[in-house]
Amino acid sequence: MTVVLRRSGLGTPGLTRAVAGAALGAAIGVGGLLAASAVGIRAEGGQLLGLGYVFALFGFLLGVGAFRFWLTWAAARPIDAAEEHAWHGTAGDWRRYFRFTTDHKVIGVQYLVTAFTLFVVAGSVAMLMRYELAQPGLAFDKEVYNTAMSTHGAMMITVALVSIIGGLGNYLVPLMVGARDMAFPKANALSFWMLPPAVVMVAINPLLGGFDSGWTAYPPLSQQANLGQQAYLMAFVTVGFSSILSSINFLTTVFRMRAPGMSLMRMPILVWALTVTATLGLIATSVVAGAFTMLLFDRVLGTSFFRASRGGDVILFQHLFWFYSHPAVYIMAVPGLGAILEIVPVFARKPLFAYPLAVLAFLMIGVMSFMVWAHHMFVSGMATFFHIPIMLTTELISVPTGVVFLTALGTIWMGRIRFKTPMLWVFGFLWAFLVGGITGVYLADVPTDITLSDTFFVVAHFHYTIIGATIYGLFAGTYFWFPKITGRMYDERLGKIHFWWFTIAFNLAFLPMFWLGIEGMRRRVADYPANLGPVNLFVSLMAANIALSVAVFLYNMIRSWQRGPKASPNPWNAQTLEWQTSSPPPVNNFDDIPVVTGTPYQYGSPPMVATPPSAAPAPVPGRPQP
Amino acid sequence: MTGHAATQHDPAIHAMDDGVDGPRNMLFGVRLGIASEVMLFGALFAAYFVIRADSGGWPPESFGGERPEILLPGINTLLLVTSSITMQLGVWDVQRHGGRHLLRWLVITVLLGVTFLGIQGYEYANNGFGLRDGVFGSVFYTLTGFHGFHVLAGLAFIAIVANRARRGMVTAQHHTAVEAASYYWHFVDVVWLFLFSTLYVL
Amino acid sequence: MSMRRHLVIAVIAWALLSAVSMVLAAGLSAMPEVASQEAAIENRTFTVLTVVSMPVLWLVVVGMTYSALRFRARDGEPEDGLPIHGHSALQAGWVLVTFVMVIGLFVYGTVGLVEIRGAQTADFQVEVHAKQWAWEFHYPNGTESKELHVPINRRVHLTFLSDDVIHSMWLPALGVKQDVVPGRTTEAYTTPTVAGTYGGRCAELCGFGHTDMVMTFVVQDEGALNAWLSTLPKQEHAQ
Ligand code: HEA
Ligand code: HEA
Ligand code: CUA
Ligand SMILES: [Cu+2]
Repeated sequence: MTVVLRRSGLGTPGLTRAVAGAALGAAIGVGGLLAASAVGIRAEGGQLLGLGYVFALFGFLLGVGAFRFWLTWAAARPIDAAEEHAWHGTAGDWRRYFRFTTDHKVIGVQYLVTAFTLFVVAGSVAMLMRYELAQPGLAFDKEVYNTAMSTHGAMMITVALVSIIGGLGNYLVPLMVGARDMAFPKANALSFWMLPPAVVMVAINPLLGGFDSGWTAYPPLSQQANLGQQAYLMAFVTVGFSSILSSINFLTTVFRMRAPGMSLMRMPILVWALTVTATLGLIATSVVAGAFTMLLFDRVLGTSFFRASRGGDVILFQHLFWFYSHPAVYIMAVPGLGAILEIVPVFARKPLFAYPLAVLAFLMIGVMSFMVWAHHMFVSGMATFFHIPIMLTTELISVPTGVVFLTALGTIWMGRIRFKTPMLWVFGFLWAFLVGGITGVYLADVPTDITLSDTFFVVAHFHYTIIGATIYGLFAGTYFWFPKITGRMYDERLGKIHFWWFTIAFNLAFLPMFWLGIEGMRRRVADYPANLGPVNLFVSLMAANIALSVAVFLYNMIRSWQRGPKASPNPWNAQTLEWQTSSPPPVNNFDDIPVVTGTPYQYGSPPMVATPPSAAPAPVPGRPQP
Repeated sequence: MTGHAATQHDPAIHAMDDGVDGPRNMLFGVRLGIASEVMLFGALFAAYFVIRADSGGWPPESFGGERPEILLPGINTLLLVTSSITMQLGVWDVQRHGGRHLLRWLVITVLLGVTFLGIQGYEYANNGFGLRDGVFGSVFYTLTGFHGFHVLAGLAFIAIVANRARRGMVTAQHHTAVEAASYYWHFVDVVWLFLFSTLYVL
Repeated sequence: MSMRRHLVIAVIAWALLSAVSMVLAAGLSAMPEVASQEAAIENRTFTVLTVVSMPVLWLVVVGMTYSALRFRARDGEPEDGLPIHGHSALQAGWVLVTFVMVIGLFVYGTVGLVEIRGAQTADFQVEVHAKQWAWEFHYPNGTESKELHVPINRRVHLTFLSDDVIHSMWLPALGVKQDVVPGRTTEAYTTPTVAGTYGGRCAELCGFGHTDMVMTFVVQDEGALNAWLSTLPKQEHAQ
């Protein structure tokens, strides 16, 4: 066996070298500009930060080994096959999680762990905000609050964008379509490794003076703001690159690497959802990258795209931003919708209801999400006539989204429901996303949006949709696929405690926010009218309970991963392909590439009794490939 | 399953580099990447048109200066279109004749591209206005600059491929990179045609 | 129990809950203060949306709850559920009904929008200047003030200008919320109907002083308003 196990250190690619590379890059960037200013060329803080960051990013990626293959290729040198193999890592070796590794299962776990880490950090920042908001008046500086609020938003948006598709998606898509890996394993690893520098950049923004513009970064405010603002813009562009790259990867995998027999209409619904998501990511992301680049140029190079005093257009930024960021909310939601629809049939023991309609609905959501962006701008001062078509398309998008509910309800109706933890999260999801979606329609209606826009009603709406779709979907999926990923079972009792505690606390924390918004509590403000004090205090207490319930989850995950009981390959007796291989799957996923003969949801068909897992004949029989 | 037994020659794992399906995956991916690039330039063009519509005349009165002359960019357009053709001749050559003249075509393409950048650099230096000169300067330099950066990247890509061709690493069977580079180069060319007609002509 | 029995029970529960909650919601007046025609439209739209949402909400909630209670498998029961295939009528019906509801809401919303923003005539004009972090109001007679006074039962036209960043003038009781955007003039119309003194605030994050960018405004009859206006010093350079 030619597996080369590398020690970490400066001599070989790895984290140590990556950090050194980043430091060196930063030094070169900053040093170069300082040297330039020594010979008379003026350099501002923004330019130092910009150049330093770009070099640091490349230094990091070089150090971690992300470009080794391509550089070898570009230099027309032979590729070392043994070394390339070592990049997959060895199953069971924990060190591969800290290296540039091309196995999609490792990358999936890397994404998941990064996302949960970020979730805890951003959630803790939210606790800080709730501390400030617990009482009217100011507990700390307004600047601190605004920076906390913006950082929370920026980080959580990243969590929502990458957790399900990057984490579960990377892990599951190749397994579900019967492939051995993603189409471009090295690009896949590169996508992941672009995240840590970006995340660090957002996290250190307080050291750079903080940023106070919220995640939407509207100019001109974002042009005046501190260097921390610029850190956020650069980090967001990096995340954008990463998600474009991984979208290309997903689409190529889905369209070109399916196992024999896996026709499009036999794909698991989650794969469909992620396909739509990846398409949105591919098409929309570069628009926001362009907008943020123009904003950066305005700040750093002195252009005037968004400087009204010099002929620029302030509203233009909002159009470009939302042209991405509305599809982005579906980039957050659709993977969650796919995840729960994947889980529902397994625990209802019934085929997924109206599968073709659900596929069509996802496609419609994808198409329509490009036609609604201006509903975030109903009070921005854009032309009045434009409000009308946008109101129409925004409300119409409820129809395909509603189909997801039809599919879920049609599947549980007359089912044989087993309330394992993942199924509880599915039910929680249906409730939360329903509330979030319906209140979205209030915002889509211009007359009501005029009074509700920029209040806590909006805050409540999007926490219900994002937490309802992404976070509930993420928890459901993490419990559901935990045995597949780790080969061990999580603790069912702790899982249920987590669900009930989280759900009750979440609803009690966020339902009152609708009322607060109607009463006139503005968002993005550290202070509010004194009469809203008691309700805010209650909200803050409930928010603390959310945190405690998440602690239960973390404990359950860490402990079960170490010593949970061993899980069988197919503990839920599910029919999609990932359950037809061992838990965790071998490095190459399948001993033999399976041949697919039917849909993945044939529960209850002729032999109405399911066979026990151990003896289960694969419903999608595999046969050795020639 | 016993670890690595199957990996050595497994097509899927090395999809990117070689193997049965690899090249076609690669080209599919490049097409998708170009789709995303189209949206990037779409955003820049959208900004251009909105800003232009906002400001009564074009260039805006506050700008004071003139629009750049059409002569040099006109020559540049010819250069870039020609280079697109030479690139495609290279691709056909490698597809049909195993690349006997591939290197020649690639080198010509690179030379044309370098001349393009040279002329653009000259134009930048003699325009008489800069990036900081109001919206006109902003859109002009940002759009052409973004494009120029893409030209540079494309040239680097083609140069690398040319070097590999020189070493005999490109054959009738293994020429994915040539095709990928050609897709990208044609895309850069088309973007330029749009830039030329909107920035200089219309 | 047969599928039909389950359906009948669930539908009855749904209908009852919907009916009761719709009646309750119809009496809802969400906005704390309603002092203009526009605010009244917004408040009414909120009520209509709530009434229409109730059957949607209960449909999903009853479906979930009923299934959770009645279709739960006993422990260790190996059975699968009966596959429900097809039902294209149900699928088409669901899509059609939600579509029609949404179109209805859209039409209603458009009517409201046109009522609020449609008529471009006004009896009284105020030019609002926003800056970090204060409001300034310029009146037609060439005076200016830090206070906003508007006449009751007259259609008021507000135009907005900003020198620095985006602000947003929010007059909750009048149902006005409009961003104030540097580089362009934005506008809003309102017809106050209830005299009194109310609070207004900046609704768009505009920097650290955003919190404090609050103001009060007065709705009063025309006589009182003119009296107040005449106490203001004339500005030489009034635009
Ligand atoms: C994925 C998206 C997501 C998620 C999950 C959350 C989760 C939460 N959010 Fe956030 N939020 C946003 C996305 C999200 N938010 C966005 C985009 C904004 C807008 C920003 C802007 O306006 O620009 C926003 C804004 C926002 C505001 C409005 C600020 C304002 O406008 O003034 C508030 C106020 O209450 C808030 C609260 C919370 C709370 C209490 C949670 C809780 O649910 C969090 C619970 C989770 C945890 C607390 C983590 C687990 C913690 C532990 C396990 C504790 C143990 C750890 C240690 C001891 C270190 N959020
Ligand atoms: C996962 C994220 C997510 C999702 C899925 C949605 C979904 C929707 N959102 Fe939301 N939204 C956000 C995240 C999300 N949103 C965020 C983050 C913001 C704030 C950004 C910021 O400013 O910081 C925001 C803000 C926002 C605004 C701007 C508010 C303002 O700033 O003034 C609007 C306005 O139209 C809106 C509308 C909608 C609508 C109509 C939907 C619809 O897609 C919902 C459709 C679903 C349903 C309606 C429920 C199920 C349907 C049925 C059961 C069928 C029957 C239904 C009917 C007949 C009504 N959202
Ligand atoms: Cu002005 Cu907020
Ligand atoms: Cu939106």
